[in-house]
Amino acid sequence: MKRAGQIIFAAAIIGVAFWLWTVLFPSPEKVIRSRLNALAKSLSFNSGSGLLGKAYDAQKAAEFFTTDVDVEVNLTGYEPISLHGRDEVLQIVVAARSRLTSLKVEFPDMNISLGADGQTAKVNLTGKGTIPGERDISAQEFNFMLKKVDGKWLIYQVETVKTLSMFKVPCAKCQVSGIKSLARSFLPDT
Amino acid sequence: MNIMEPGATTARCPGWLRIALIGRNPRRTLIRAAVLAVCCFVFFKFFVFKFIVLPVRIEGYSMFPTYRDWGINFVNRLAYRHSEPQRGDVVGIRMAGPSIMLMKRIVGMPGETVAFEHGRLLVNGQEIDEPYLKHHSPAPFMDPVKLKPGEYFVIGDNRMNSDSGRVGRERIMGKIVL
Repeated sequence: MKRAGQIIFAAAIIGVAFWLWTVLFPSPEKVIRSRLNALAKSLSFNSGSGLLGKAYDAQKAAEFFTTDVDVEVNLTGYEPISLHGRDEVLQIVVAARSRLTSLKVEFPDMNISLGADGQTAKVNLTGKGTIPGERDISAQEFNFMLKKVDGKWLIYQVETVKTLSMFKVPCAKCQVSGIKSLARSFLPDT
Repeated sequence: MNIMEPGATTARCPGWLRIALIGRNPRRTLIRAAVLAVCCFVFFKFFVFKFIVLPVRIEGYSMFPTYRDWGINFVNRLAYRHSEPQRGDVVGIRMAGPSIMLMKRIVGMPGETVAFEHGRLLVNGQEIDEPYLKHHSPAPFMDPVKLKPGEYFVIGDNRMNSDSGRVGRERIMGKIVL
């Protein structure tokens, strides 16, 4: 009995040590996952957020991108959107926040592939956007390219992935739905 | 006046029924039931609903009226373990993962040439009957598309409000059950 207790105690010590190791020295995949979850949190906002809070969160969201980030959003039925640089990303985030009262962004599935050098990574993920209180969800698949800059994983390229290699349904009314209208609402008035 | 003495219920309940229902030791039976419930929860959540059937909630109208918005359904992940998807199957198509899927019907098989003319499906130039369509619409129109090996052509039943296109076999998660 005493022996069994010792074995259980030793196993518990090993378990705690392993857990501590993973907390103190997380794998790059875990770091990237947590960074992207933090990005999703920064992109989300609710109606209770004040102007200053919104601006702070938008700035925080922009800091997940490199200064020379390239964002290419190509949605069926819409003109492709190209953003270059962190400032343009910040403008879009601020514009989205001024147009929508609330938004919840999540990245439910992340497939992370690390580059051979360990300094770059490609993440294939699904972006899910919901407006609290509304039933409809918007979802789009993306590829995020990240690189390590000063020890931080930053996004340097974003591109949309077409889950179906689609053709356009000839029904103009049907095109204004889901992520498309959401993406359009992000764009500043021109 | 109706007065119920403690144990009056058990006195009326036959002993064998009491044993069958709550066992000889009710406290032990309760613990056993709790353990069984936890095991069932873990089994269904982490095995059945992950590797065998995926419960899904339908959102949107692309499969209307065959499947209605906000309906509950299941994706059978084992459906194509020993066979390949067939024309007419309604399948779940994953995005980056299984959390969010598209629900579409397969209308074109690998290697075939698919086209739409006034809403009619043409496969290799021949019109294909689609008995599952409740309403025939004049759309879509699409020039012939040649599918590569391992590629399927999918579209929703609500032809006026559905995205469609080619999809690789690896994206097809399984067949819709109900």
